[in-house]
Amino acid sequence: MNTRTLLLPLLCALSVAAAQAPDDTTLVVAQTTDATTFDPAEIGDRASANIADHLWGTLLEITPEGEIIPYLAESYEVSDDGTELSFTLREGLTCHDGEALTAEDVAYTFQRAADPENGFTGNTPGFVLTSIGYQDARADDELTATVVMNQPNAIAPGLLAEVYIHCKDSYEAMSLEAASTNPIGSGPYRFVEWIRDDRVVLEKVEDFPLVESTFQTLVWRAIPEASTRSAELIAGNVDVVAGVSPDQQDAINNSGAATVIPVSGTRRIYVGFNFKPEFAEASDGGAAIQETAVRVALQYAVDVPTICETLLGTQCERATGLVNPPNDNPNLEPYPYDPEMAEQLLDEAGYPRGDDGVRFSLTLQSPNGRYLNDANVALAVGQYLSDIGVETTVEPMDFASVYVPLIREHDAGPLFLLGSGGGLWSALYDMTDLATPESGTNYTEWQNPEWFAGWERLAQAEGEAEQRTIINEMLEVFYNDPPWLMLYFQPDFYGVSSRLDWEPRRDEHIDVTNAALASN
Amino acid sequence: MWSYILKRIVQSVGVILGVTLITFLALHMGGDPTYLYVSERASAEEIAATRATLGFDRPLHVQYLSFLGGLVRGDLGNSLSYRTPALQVVLERFPATLELTLFAMLIAILFSIPLGVVSSLKRGTPVDGSIMMVAMFGQSIPSFWLGIMLILFVGLGLGWLPISGHVPILAPLFQGDLATAWANFPRAVPYLVMPAVSISLFSLSRNARLVRSSMLEVLSQDYVRTARAKGIPPYGVVVRHALRNAWMPVVTMLGLEFGFLLSGVVVVETIFSWPGVGRLVFNAINQRDIPLVQAAVILFSLLFVGLNLLVDLLYARLDPRVRLG
Repeated sequence: MNTRTLLLPLLCALSVAAAQAPDDTTLVVAQTTDATTFDPAEIGDRASANIADHLWGTLLEITPEGEIIPYLAESYEVSDDGTELSFTLREGLTCHDGEALTAEDVAYTFQRAADPENGFTGNTPGFVLTSIGYQDARADDELTATVVMNQPNAIAPGLLAEVYIHCKDSYEAMSLEAASTNPIGSGPYRFVEWIRDDRVVLEKVEDFPLVESTFQTLVWRAIPEASTRSAELIAGNVDVVAGVSPDQQDAINNSGAATVIPVSGTRRIYVGFNFKPEFAEASDGGAAIQETAVRVALQYAVDVPTICETLLGTQCERATGLVNPPNDNPNLEPYPYDPEMAEQLLDEAGYPRGDDGVRFSLTLQSPNGRYLNDANVALAVGQYLSDIGVETTVEPMDFASVYVPLIREHDAGPLFLLGSGGGLWSALYDMTDLATPESGTNYTEWQNPEWFAGWERLAQAEGEAEQRTIINEMLEVFYNDPPWLMLYFQPDFYGVSSRLDWEPRRDEHIDVTNAALASN
Repeated sequence: MWSYILKRIVQSVGVILGVTLITFLALHMGGDPTYLYVSERASAEEIAATRATLGFDRPLHVQYLSFLGGLVRGDLGNSLSYRTPALQVVLERFPATLELTLFAMLIAILFSIPLGVVSSLKRGTPVDGSIMMVAMFGQSIPSFWLGIMLILFVGLGLGWLPISGHVPILAPLFQGDLATAWANFPRAVPYLVMPAVSISLFSLSRNARLVRSSMLEVLSQDYVRTARAKGIPPYGVVVRHALRNAWMPVVTMLGLEFGFLLSGVVVVETIFSWPGVGRLVFNAINQRDIPLVQAAVILFSLLFVGLNLLVDLLYARLDPRVRLG
């Protein structure tokens, strides 16, 4: 082989190197990370779930507006005692291997996920099944499957909308290792290939009856670096980019090739007040925040809209509690930024400024790099508190190795910044962070008796109107005796190619089944 | 010779054991990663059960000995995030990293030697000054910054090269699919250029300076003067007499070079979305996937130690004055 034979293809390749733009039948999405598994029972991270949402169908579906609608199931019924949910499947559904999708497959999906021998820890067994108090699943007839719970659960339908339904025969025939890389779906797209840390390719299922997708091929690329994702979007090689960094918005918007669409996400960013006695004993600040009046005063000290505008690159409204709009209490107004009011309330609570101008001292712990600009937000909050005489030391920490163990053992604090995932489909879903005083997600160890009595009242409530009244009362309790210093719902930024007509969702799900080429 | 090799292998085992111990302790200093692998709503019993399943409930020394036992059997445990054998996950990504590292080494060698030789021959001239100034910049520029600049100007601005991604060459080759490897080769090279330049610039610059100083030393030797006096053309003097003898420090450096380039891939692979071991380790550290990090570190250590042994043996071949033993 002579030099020319070697160089010619190289030169050709170089000349077409930049021509990677997808054709009109292909949509390319870039996420921060690659999928970790394609076993439907093991999927637990958002990147994997976004792809999985296109591979598998679920019994019910949550719309972008938060409405729960039928999907693989055409209807469902709740038993008289509230512990059984019976789903009636649509006729004629199949899995991607051609097997008919029946109630037996639905029951198998739940039984496989719950089987301790499989050792699954994904979203379905680790979150959904534990949250609904799963007991069993059975096939009543060809098209009717029933899920049995240990007690009535008002949010069970919404939670079950996260369970990927798969066919029994194909999964019984596969080892767990094979199942993690060979997904056999039941949704609008079938699996083609997965090149780890590079791309996942899906192909449209032509006869899928529930969704009419535009694009024949979906390519999910994993591009960890934010600036590289933005460059690929501007170059036209990628159509949708998740996690655009605020500092790259102008570059993308000015490129003419794409625009950045900010959405108010459902993740609730807050500063928690830790009520553990150890914190009250350890410092004057730890003791001060045990008092409701102090915690209310601190709400007035922080200018949340300015934090959003300057540090997150978008405008946002301050949260009034732990529930995402529009399910929050409409009668509550966000605490305004009013440092004079904060100082006055602290004086009245018996915490005047000392000779050095300091009322008391606090430590605010924060992850660094877990949430959008988290450490800087914590520094800003710390400065606002210091301005009213609450001397605040901010401690940014590595999320995985240091912060997670502290949070999960309820040892972060006395102040800690955290983001907690929420939803749009039910106020109760957001409120279950504080389902009981002992809940793992009650990171502040808040013990307000009125709040926790509210759950018992909710269990007795008859009808949605009464339930809504109780929810509003509970949210008022939360507002008036705040365990959180309420901040904002984390904005998410999506870069969208100009060739595309697509609206991002608020709940971090990337659903591109409804995407189409722009008309002009 | 054989006794030397045996001695070096024994020393290498010690080095690798040391690496495993340091890695193990460093990874466990961050505490127990169980919380990252259970639901937020998991009960204390569920957390304890997961901890026991993952083996993090055992005393640290027991965990380490168990890890060493597995290492002897070639079993480095399952990746916590991928739920498959950690070594398998690492080996799947290794061909991509090897491609990048070899290509970067090629760039470093191909450019550093001529630059170093020219610089030494033009000592004290503006050419020498320019080359050394560029080399100094090359050693000062961080690879991640260079990578982002290349993406911005060469990939996005000029559109000459793809911004990110990878076309495999070695993976199909290792699977015996020569045809695919060869067919992929011309498509793969454009993807390799920017990441390889990013990680090789430091080595290229350092080696150019090394070749220059080594050449200057050799050029002042008596035998070079004799060669010139005998009327050998300048090209022959430089290539056959001077450069051949100036090789020795460069060869020594090349052994370390590979390890150095491997360490550089961690950041560069992330920037260019290169699906290699570096990016895998980066993610594994963030997710505290201890078995995966250990598997990658051990693989890198074996390579590093093995290559250094090879270089030492090569050293004796290149210079008959060197005696091993």
